[in-house]
Amino acid sequence: MLLQSGAWEYIAANWVYLGWGLVFTVCLTAVSVVLGFLLGLPAGIIETYGSGYSRGLVERAGVLVRGTPIVIILVAFYFLFPLTIAAFWAAALGLGIRSAAYQSQIFRGALQSVGDGQMEAARSVGMSKLDAIRRVTVPQALRRSIPGFQNEFTIVLKDTSVAYAIGLGELLTRGTNLYLTEQGNTAVLEIFLAISAVYFVLTMTTNLSLDALGRRFAIPGGEGR
Amino acid sequence: MTLLEFADVHQSYGEEEVLDGISFGVDRGAVEVIIGPSGSGKSTLLRCVNRLTDIDSGDIRLDGTSIYARDENELRQQVGMVFQDFNLFAHLTALENVTLGLRRVRGFSKEEAVADAHDHLERVGLLEQAESYPAELSGGQKQRVGIARALAMDPEIMLFDEPTSALDPELVGEVVSVMRDLAEEGMTMLVVTHEMGFARSTASRLTFLDDGRLVEQGPPEQLFERPEHERTGTFLRRLTELHGGIDR
Amino acid sequence: MSAASTVRGRVVKVTGGGLFRWLAFGVFWGYLVVRWLYQWVGADLLGMDPRAPLLPVETFRTLATTWDGTRIGGLFSFLRVAGDALPAAVTGTWLTIILTVVAMAAGLVIAVPLAVTRVYGGPVTRWAALGYTELIRGTPLLAQLFVLYYGLSLSATLRELPFVGEGFIPAQAALVAMIGFIINSSAYQAEYIRSALQSVEVGQLTAGRAVGLSKLQTIRRIVLPQGLRYGIPGWSNELVYLIKYSSLAAFITVPELYKRTRDIASGNFRYFELLVVAGVIYLGLVLSASALMGRVEQRVAIPGLGE
Repeated sequence: MLLQSGAWEYIAANWVYLGWGLVFTVCLTAVSVVLGFLLGLPAGIIETYGSGYSRGLVERAGVLVRGTPIVIILVAFYFLFPLTIAAFWAAALGLGIRSAAYQSQIFRGALQSVGDGQMEAARSVGMSKLDAIRRVTVPQALRRSIPGFQNEFTIVLKDTSVAYAIGLGELLTRGTNLYLTEQGNTAVLEIFLAISAVYFVLTMTTNLSLDALGRRFAIPGGEGR
Repeated sequence: MTLLEFADVHQSYGEEEVLDGISFGVDRGAVEVIIGPSGSGKSTLLRCVNRLTDIDSGDIRLDGTSIYARDENELRQQVGMVFQDFNLFAHLTALENVTLGLRRVRGFSKEEAVADAHDHLERVGLLEQAESYPAELSGGQKQRVGIARALAMDPEIMLFDEPTSALDPELVGEVVSVMRDLAEEGMTMLVVTHEMGFARSTASRLTFLDDGRLVEQGPPEQLFERPEHERTGTFLRRLTELHGGIDR
Repeated sequence: MSAASTVRGRVVKVTGGGLFRWLAFGVFWGYLVVRWLYQWVGADLLGMDPRAPLLPVETFRTLATTWDGTRIGGLFSFLRVAGDALPAAVTGTWLTIILTVVAMAAGLVIAVPLAVTRVYGGPVTRWAALGYTELIRGTPLLAQLFVLYYGLSLSATLRELPFVGEGFIPAQAALVAMIGFIINSSAYQAEYIRSALQSVEVGQLTAGRAVGLSKLQTIRRIVLPQGLRYGIPGWSNELVYLIKYSSLAAFITVPELYKRTRDIASGNFRYFELLVVAGVIYLGLVLSASALMGRVEQRVAIPGLGE
């Protein structure tokens, strides 16, 4: 298997085209992670503190979403949504809801690890349950969620590539399009290696940034009570 | 005059009767120390007062009205609670631990809350540590912040659930001394503790619980010197051997 | 801890189980097994069409027409389309299971030495193992499959090998997918095992050496038996992930469950019905795997250790 210099030149010549793919990938990741957070945090709170009915509902929905392959979720949003929506929004919704199902587990675990004592102490000074969740347990749980959240972030990032299934022009799809041209035919390996390298840099950057975030918000002296 | 009254309180956990008909009153300004072997129901009794645990039957009255006739959050504001494991809010500084309740529950402005919190921290001797996080404090300091946090709500009664049990021996003194000051200021206190020095010197009355029942009640000298029940004597002797009867 | 400490989060935890759940598992696996047996041997013996759905699809069709336009008609119309698709879907499910099981097993064989190297290796081998796991976990599985299939044209090489595509040996594309999944899964499994090994107390290693075992013996006899137990929850998770991600093999033409249903849908445009069929089967596989692994976890638990 030869890595030909002509192939690299071909990739370089198409950098704008691939660059837009990168933009799509980054935007899709960002929108999906944020959507996942906005839905996942309340879901995690309900799973931890909710009453029987609401909790059961959220748990069931979570199992359903977590038990289904992402490609099926994306295709379902793309083909079955009552309104025809752009591939980008179908992908963002699908990835976002799937991420919410996982983020809810991260937040539930973190909330449970905060311990009952914190809730009891907050209630004991007369705070309402909602206030106690908002001011005492959630702020602590969010800090503890950072490692799990880091994982989830990179998983979403990597899974944006599955939007290939609905023809969204993200990085991997554009790479495939490039190789399907006459010139690209001889540069297949180089194209996919280059794209993999970009993903790798993206995951590393994400991890390092979230590490820094974790340090920035660490509680001085650790987590003692 | 009775401030807090237990009237035939029953509480069970599954099959097990944790509290089996407890009745007694606590006078305003009294320091009621509750002792008993582990599993005797003393912590549960305390937790029933601010409704962290619900009772099965009977009633608990504060200032003549049932605690169940009051708003839960309002009740908890009037009943201060100090925990064995401190349960300081780990993500907040000592000062913020105290201001949180002042702002969210008592509706103080930020400036008022900070000023008031400073007073309470000073009262427990921790003004210097106001900006420290719980993990940066010693156990004794944590517990004193816990006391300041409860006091800031301006409670009518303070509950102490084994406040010194999680402390290294050399740190017990500072917490006990804060509690003693509180007693002298006339705060009504319900204290579950194994700290016999504190019980002897500060308690207005000792209550011995065993197996969810009130076995014996009386002034400390009486229970220490001339207990009516064999069990009380045995328990107190063992405790004094373990924890030392020295007045700290 | 390295920068990219990606592991995949907990998927589902199936515990306990009422009568309904066991009944549902029974119907699910019952149908799968009956269909497989029918297709491999039964149809031949009975002289019937191996692609018969073994469900009253014609009745569904009639009822759907009779009740046309109503909810009940819609239901039967759904059942008809689903019933027609099931034979192909169940055939694909077999491949999905094979891909997953082989990738998990072979991935484990690679992952254990990889993880041991990460924890106890020398500086060079440790970095090599780290590089491998980080590279694999830092790039999308789909991109890895494309590198193998389109980039390296592995299928062309595999086609030359004997027995490929004959009998129970999957065809070349499926083998490429399998290789991709093994590589991918080995990196993730290594990460789970690594963190499990690191959770074994250091004192255990010291104690092993103290009774005169060599370092390798200590790892093998003391650390691994404990570490692998700690690793089971992560490992169960990986299994579930792989069941779901095996659907990506569809994009390198492997006729597994998702590809089979997608192909039918692109013929009859009944996307909803076919996505439901695929989704329900994946869900059934995922929940079965979690229930099974929950059992295993209980079985091998050492009293008082962990938790």
